[in-house]
Amino acid sequence: MNEELKQAIVQKLIALADDELILGHRDSEWTGHAPILEEDIAFANIAQDEIGHAVVWYSLVQELTGQKPDQLAFFRDAPDFRNVQMVELPKEDWAFTMMRQYLFDTAELIWLDSLAQSSYKPVADAANKMRNEEIYHYRHTSTWIKRLGLGTEESHRRIQSALDALWGYALQLFVPLPAESTLVTAGVVPDPAEVQAQWEAQVRPFLDAANLQIPDITTPVTTSRTNHTTHLVDLLAEMQSVARLEPEADW
Amino acid sequence: MSDTQWPRYEVFEQERPNRPFQNVGSVHAPDPELALLNARDVFVRRPDCAGLWVVPASAIFAKTAEELEADNTWKQTPVPADAPLETWLVFQKKTQRNVMTYVTHVGEVEARSPAEALAKALEAYATENVYVWWVVPERMITRSSPEDAGPWFTPARYKTYKLPTEYKTVTQIRQAKAQKRKSKQR
Repeated sequence: MNEELKQAIVQKLIALADDELILGHRDSEWTGHAPILEEDIAFANIAQDEIGHAVVWYSLVQELTGQKPDQLAFFRDAPDFRNVQMVELPKEDWAFTMMRQYLFDTAELIWLDSLAQSSYKPVADAANKMRNEEIYHYRHTSTWIKRLGLGTEESHRRIQSALDALWGYALQLFVPLPAESTLVTAGVVPDPAEVQAQWEAQVRPFLDAANLQIPDITTPVTTSRTNHTTHLVDLLAEMQSVARLEPEADW
Repeated sequence: MSDTQWPRYEVFEQERPNRPFQNVGSVHAPDPELALLNARDVFVRRPDCAGLWVVPASAIFAKTAEELEADNTWKQTPVPADAPLETWLVFQKKTQRNVMTYVTHVGEVEARSPAEALAKALEAYATENVYVWWVVPERMITRSSPEDAGPWFTPARYKTYKLPTEYKTVTQIRQAKAQKRKSKQR
């Protein structure tokens, strides 16, 4: 593998992993606070899955660069993270969290379906395994979106305003990385534009059936994963605090 | 005071194919579909599950051995005139090992009412030491589908990070405690 392709793969893996890690951490903030005990357990389980996916992607980075997953997760600062802004936003109410999860899960599932065909075998194998879990996540979050959208006046108001707030953020999931075209040409990843087209074809009719109106926004909030909100700094301060107390600790 | 909880659903798990479904506990949910999802998360995050059922608790007709001994007037409950003949699943608890009411699926009867179903079950499945009887109309059962099995039940097998044994911390804490004890003894 030439150096250019290798670097492009590393950048893609970091982006995938950072999305999962930061979302997983935000999801974990519901542990002990979800609307009902059963949902608390369910969502903690989903949070753990997302963090588990981050570990898988970071481990593939380690194979290429030698950097350890813990090093990447706990000892980088905000400017070095490559997650989309959507996942770093505070958890807000349950509707916001469910809508974020839905928009992310649907996109992730389509990415994984394509990545399972990747010409880079470690990525294909990892994607295949994660797909199974994401099918379940999708079932869980889409079930909630339907019920909130078609539920009471209050649930509809809350889930609609979550959609209004999140749509522009979700579009960032399909913005190509600087070296993405190298990866697409090499068959490592699908064309993000195709992923987005598939995603919209799935999400639009579903949200429509849940009586939700997609806002008239076609441009993502930002086009670079180097741009972050201040929320990421706060999140990392908490998430990394224990690991940084004792950097040499062996967990 | 009114109950603001969602309705309760009893959960039945099949550990391996061709094994009987067994009651494992209950979940609250607004509807059967979410009950099934909740059941998956609450009860089968670890491996060895082949299928799940949920049943609204309100659909279950249950009697303990003591209740059957003390009173059989329930048998006189008349069958509603227009009640259709339908399939009821019969569950029994045959061991006192579990404190909770963990009943196991033993078979079916055809009946038109809960009382008729239980009366038929008592005849058809009478054995020694049945501590609890449940009958449930089949139409009230929501089952996981065979397509669900992959995404729902297999990930638990390789998600070793969900097990405490995955982390050295547990053994290290034990070692640290042992060392502390030793140094105290000295």
